[in-house]
Amino acid sequence: MRNFFSVGFLFVLAVLVGNTLFVIKETERGVMLRFGQLVNADIEPGLHVKIPWVNTVRKFDARIQTEDATPERFLTLEQKALEVDSYAKWRIVNVGQFYVSTRGNVSTAGSLLAQRINDGLRDQIGARTLIEVVAGERDQLMLDLTAELNETTASDIGIEVIDVRVKRIDLPDDVRSSVYDRMITERNREAQEIRSRGDELAIGIRADADRQVVIYEAEAYRDAERIRGDGDAQATAIYADAFNKDQEFYAFTRSLNAYRETFSSKSDVLLLDPDSDYFKYLKDGISPQ
Amino acid sequence: MAWNEPGNNGNDNDPWGGGRRGGDQGPPDIDEVIKNLTKRLDRLFGGSRSGSGGSSGGQSKGNMSGGFLAGIIAIVAVAWGFMGIYIVDEAERGVVLRFGEVLNETVQPGLAWNPPLVDDVNLVNVSELNAKTYENRAMLTTDENIIDIEVTVQYRIEDPAKYVIAVENPERSLDNAAESAIRHVVGGNTMEQILTTGRDRVAEDVEERLQDYMNVYNTGIFVSQVNVVDAQPPDGVRAAFDDVIRAREDEQRAQNQAQQYANRVIPEARGQAQRQMEEANAYKEEVIAVAEGDASRFDQLLTEYAKAPQVTRQRMYIDSLQDVMTSSSKIMIDVEGGNNMLYLPLDKMLEQNNSAIGARPTNDQEWRDLANEIAPYLPGPTNTGSVDRSRLSSGSRGGRP
Repeated sequence: MRNFFSVGFLFVLAVLVGNTLFVIKETERGVMLRFGQLVNADIEPGLHVKIPWVNTVRKFDARIQTEDATPERFLTLEQKALEVDSYAKWRIVNVGQFYVSTRGNVSTAGSLLAQRINDGLRDQIGARTLIEVVAGERDQLMLDLTAELNETTASDIGIEVIDVRVKRIDLPDDVRSSVYDRMITERNREAQEIRSRGDELAIGIRADADRQVVIYEAEAYRDAERIRGDGDAQATAIYADAFNKDQEFYAFTRSLNAYRETFSSKSDVLLLDPDSDYFKYLKDGISPQ
Repeated sequence: MAWNEPGNNGNDNDPWGGGRRGGDQGPPDIDEVIKNLTKRLDRLFGGSRSGSGGSSGGQSKGNMSGGFLAGIIAIVAVAWGFMGIYIVDEAERGVVLRFGEVLNETVQPGLAWNPPLVDDVNLVNVSELNAKTYENRAMLTTDENIIDIEVTVQYRIEDPAKYVIAVENPERSLDNAAESAIRHVVGGNTMEQILTTGRDRVAEDVEERLQDYMNVYNTGIFVSQVNVVDAQPPDGVRAAFDDVIRAREDEQRAQNQAQQYANRVIPEARGQAQRQMEEANAYKEEVIAVAEGDASRFDQLLTEYAKAPQVTRQRMYIDSLQDVMTSSSKIMIDVEGGNNMLYLPLDKMLEQNNSAIGARPTNDQEWRDLANEIAPYLPGPTNTGSVDRSRLSSGSRGGRP
C-alpha cells in the first residue's frame, strides 16, 4: 500500500515539476501569460518556474529568420518590367508586440513582412532606372528599404528587419528575347569588324608585297639597262676606235656583210642586169682589158 | 529569477547542488546526487526524518518504502548518467546549451559527458571545408547583357556557437546571400569584364560581399574561397559569341595568307631582279667581247688589206656576191635589147618557189624544168636561155670578208 502510494507520489511530483519548470533557449524568446493576460513580455533564456495551470508560456524562435518572397514583377522609372526575387532577414525584437500582433505565428509575421517589402520594393524600383536597379544603386536601394521598413515593423509587428536583399533581377521573357537579339547583333557587328580588320591588314600586306615587287623590278630594270648601256658604250668605243683607222674599208666590208645577210634566202629574187661588175666576165669574155 | 543565472558560477543556485558541474564535464558522484534527492523528498513531505542523511528511518515500513524508492531513483539516475556520454570527433566541437543558455566553452574532441535534459549538446563540424555550387542562369550585367555564371563557394564554420544559435537554417542563409552577392557583383560589371579579364575580381568581390552578409547575419560561417567556375553567354546567343572567336581566327588566317603571298612574291621578285642583273651583265660582257673580237678582226684584216688593197677588195667583193647569188633566186634581164615593157609575174614565181620548198628540186634536170616553166613569161627573142640554168644547189658560204 505504501509502495503504491510512493509511486503515485513520484508521478504527481513529475507532473508538478514538468508544469512548473520551463526552459527558454537562447534561440528563443518567450512570453508568460496569466489566464491569457500578458505578465512577462520577455523572458530571459534559462530555466524558469511558473505556477502550473495559472501561467502559460509561449515560446518563439528568436533566431534570424529568412523570409523568401516569391518573385514579383515591378516597373522601373522608364516603365521597363523586371522580375525581382528578394529575401529578407528579420528577427523578433519586441516579443510582447510580436505575440499580440501575430498570435505568435512566425509565418504570419513573414507574410506581413513580405507584403511590406513588396510595397517598398515597388516604390524604390519605381523611382529608379533599370541600370540603377541592376547595377550600382542596389546597395543604397536596400539600405533605404530596410530603414523604411524598420520605421514601422518594430512597433507594429515587434520585429526588426536586418537586411533585405535582391536575389534575382530578371527581365521578363519577351524583353529577354529582344535583349538576346541585341546581343547577337552586337556580336555580329564585332565579328564583322574583326574579319574586316583582318581583310584590311591582309590587303595591306599584299599591297606592300606588290609594291616591293614593283620596286624590285623597276630597280632591276634600271640597273640592268645601266649595265647594258655601259656595255654598249664600251663596245661602241671599241668599234669606233678600230673602224676609224680606215673608214672607207670599214664601209666596204660592212656593206659586203650586209649584202650577205640581206640576200640569204631562196625567196629573195634578184633581177640582175648583166652589165653589173659581177657579170663583167660573163658578158665580155676572158679577154683582158 | 532563473535558478542558474547566466554568467555566475551557477553552483549556488543549482537545484541538483552538484558542486562539480560548473567547471568540468565529468560525471558527478551519483551516490551524492541520490542522497541529496532523497533528503529533499523527505523534507518535502515534512516527515520526522529530517536531519539524518540517507533513508535510515526508525520505522521498518518506512525503511522498506524508502529503499524501494531509492532503488527506482538509482536506476533512473544511472540510465540518465549513461545517456549523457558521447564522443566528439576531432573535426567537431560541441556547443552546449544548459537550460537553453550557451556555455562559453565548446566541447573539445574526445569522450565527453553532459547531463541529459539539462544540457543540449550540438555537435558542429568546424574543420571540414564545405563547397557549394551556384549555377545562375540569365543574370543581368550592368550593360544590360545577360550571362550564365557558375560559382563555387568554399566555407567552413568558424564560430560553432553562432552557427547554432544565431540564425534559423544558416545554410539557407548562405544560399540566399551567395545568390544575392553574385547578382550584385555581376550587375556591377560589364559582360566583357565578367567573360574575359575580370573573372578573378568578380570572385574576390563576391567573396568579400558574401562574408559581409555572413557577419551581418551572425552565421559564424567563414567564406574561405569563391571561384567563378564558368561564365558564358546564354545558349541562345552562344553561336554569335562563338562566331566572334571564329572571326578572330579568320582575322589571323587572312593575315597569314597575305603574309604567305608576300613571302612568295617578294623573294621571287628579288630573284627576278637578280636574273635581270645577271643577264645585263652577261649582255655587257658579251657586247664588249664581241666588239673587241670584231675590232681585232677588222684590225688584222686592215693590216693585210693595206699591203694589197686592190686585189683584196676585188676578192672580197666577188666572194661576197657569190655568196649572195648562190643563196638567193635570181633572174637576169638584158633590158637593153628588149622592149621597155616587161611583164614579170613575180608573185607567181615566188609562189612556185615557195611551193617548191616542200618538194625542192634535187637535181639539175628538175632545175631546168623549173626554168623552162618560167621561160614563157620572159620577153624578147632571147628569152629562152636567158634564164640562168646553171644555178648551183648551194654555195658554201665563206666566212665573213
